[in-house]
Amino acid sequence: MTTAELLAQLQQLGVELRVEGEGLRFRAPAGALTETLRAELARCKGEILEALRDRTSVKRPGYEAFFFGPDDQKIFAQYHAPVRGGGRTLVVICPPLFSDFMRTHLALRDLAMALAERGLHVLRFDYRGTGDSSGGLEQATVANWLEDIAFAVREGRERSGSADVRLLGIRASALLACRSMGASSEVGRLILWDPVPDGVDYLQEMRRVQGGLLEQHLHLTRAERREAAREYAGYRLSEPLQEGIRSLDANLYSSIPMSKLHVLSTSSAVKFPVRGVSQDMERCDCNWETDSEDRMVLPRLVSERLITCLTMS
Amino acid sequence: MSDHVLKEEPLQFGEGGRLFGILTLPNTAPGQGPELPVFVFLTAGFLHRVGPLRLHVRLARELAEMGFSSLRVDLAGTGDTPPRPASMSYQQSVVADFKGIVDVLDSRLGRPSFVLAGLCSGADNAIMLAMREPRVVGMVLLDSICFPDPGFRAREIFQKCSNPARYLSWLKHRFEALSGAPVAERIDPEGWRHWRELPTLEELRAAFNSIRSRGGRVLSVFTGQTLQYYNRTGQLGQVLNVDGYREFCAERFWPEVEHTYSLEVHRRRLVAEIKTWAGGFIRT
Repeated sequence: MTTAELLAQLQQLGVELRVEGEGLRFRAPAGALTETLRAELARCKGEILEALRDRTSVKRPGYEAFFFGPDDQKIFAQYHAPVRGGGRTLVVICPPLFSDFMRTHLALRDLAMALAERGLHVLRFDYRGTGDSSGGLEQATVANWLEDIAFAVREGRERSGSADVRLLGIRASALLACRSMGASSEVGRLILWDPVPDGVDYLQEMRRVQGGLLEQHLHLTRAERREAAREYAGYRLSEPLQEGIRSLDANLYSSIPMSKLHVLSTSSAVKFPVRGVSQDMERCDCNWETDSEDRMVLPRLVSERLITCLTMS
Repeated sequence: MSDHVLKEEPLQFGEGGRLFGILTLPNTAPGQGPELPVFVFLTAGFLHRVGPLRLHVRLARELAEMGFSSLRVDLAGTGDTPPRPASMSYQQSVVADFKGIVDVLDSRLGRPSFVLAGLCSGADNAIMLAMREPRVVGMVLLDSICFPDPGFRAREIFQKCSNPARYLSWLKHRFEALSGAPVAERIDPEGWRHWRELPTLEELRAAFNSIRSRGGRVLSVFTGQTLQYYNRTGQLGQVLNVDGYREFCAERFWPEVEHTYSLEVHRRRLVAEIKTWAGGFIRT
């Protein structure tokens, strides 16, 4: 019998267990604890104590979740305060888009918690029309998303009181973060994780994913196939949104002073278009070009590098 | 969040505020609308509460327009809810999470009844929880488990032999092998069995019987993902052999659809199906 099975059986029998100092105490209905169960309890005592201590020290996730922004178009965000208080630096995480967003959600949550543990303020948010934020992609525009970054920086500054702001842009969000930073004097440093070369290339990549999806769907009617052929990796993007993404070109990267920019890549196959920028390479099979949203990207070594970059003074 | 037809609110609840979800409420004053069950969207696999291609968000908002409240929630270890201690089994963890869900919805909405909706492992969890919680009056099961009926094998052989995709796939792999091109990664077709805690036939039957005894309803939708164990509309009803199955259950078989509804045309069909089915709670 495993410890978990034993605990479940004891619970069913109405046996209450508790930790007192270094010892294990129990209260059981008459006759519930047979000799066999007592022997099992003695055998598993160490593991049971550990399990009970685990249960009683439930970790409260150290973040605050809220909606903010324009009244009719709210942006969903989570603010992680430094675990031990204080902290002078704010990191705003600009999440990647579409399936990249789904696949990195856990990694970015863990990254935010690790940064808060190291004394940084962190704000995560979902762009309008994505995640838990209001609206759908049919209403979303690149202008909205740039505004969302500006709102997030302002919100994060108000909550943290911090003037030292760093942006983390992942994949296509790297382009958005660069354009946003170009229009703002509030951001002191920009870290990019696997930035896409430019908007046109990114849309082409999504079209290739869509091509793969269509190959799997042999039984579509002509009308359905025509409709599906207009999607990008399963997502329907409005014309203005496609146009906005196409307008995000590689020149945005060179518009940021090199001293403020740092790039982290997981593959040597995609070259960062600006020479002379401070770069790190941490090989990791992120396989960004996929339609499988449940293939989580959990790159521990990448996270460690990001933490180093973002905490550097 | 609020607009003309709904309000959304992030909730941190359960022991120490460890669970996280988004509550969606229709924009009607309490007591004005009919008393409807609350939809609880259970996470699928490792995906967080928004669901594949934002399916849960869309359903929550469209159901709110019909007057339904809902909670899309991260179960332990997914999204923004941390994992439970390793000493707890997965099922114990889900049961503990659901207690937190019931408590918070009781405190916010006053002892409502529930519809549990889930895809894949979310459907497994809905089945397991429906047996335990007497206020579950509905289930939306997307690619839940099923069991072969007597004609299953014969249909499977026929469908495999008459499926052009199978021949195209074989030709593609032959071509890749001969041309020396990198061969696409083969996905283990039975891989899902290793990480899902599948209900047994008895548990599945018990869950359906529970719903029937409460006067509730079930919608089951099977896609092409389930062809290894389900290949005919009505197969679930036959293997369950539950009294009055057709009166309280709707069963759909969409073999041309991919597991996570990756095309908009299929998501739209699913959303319409669920909304039509949910409408039955308003009429009754």
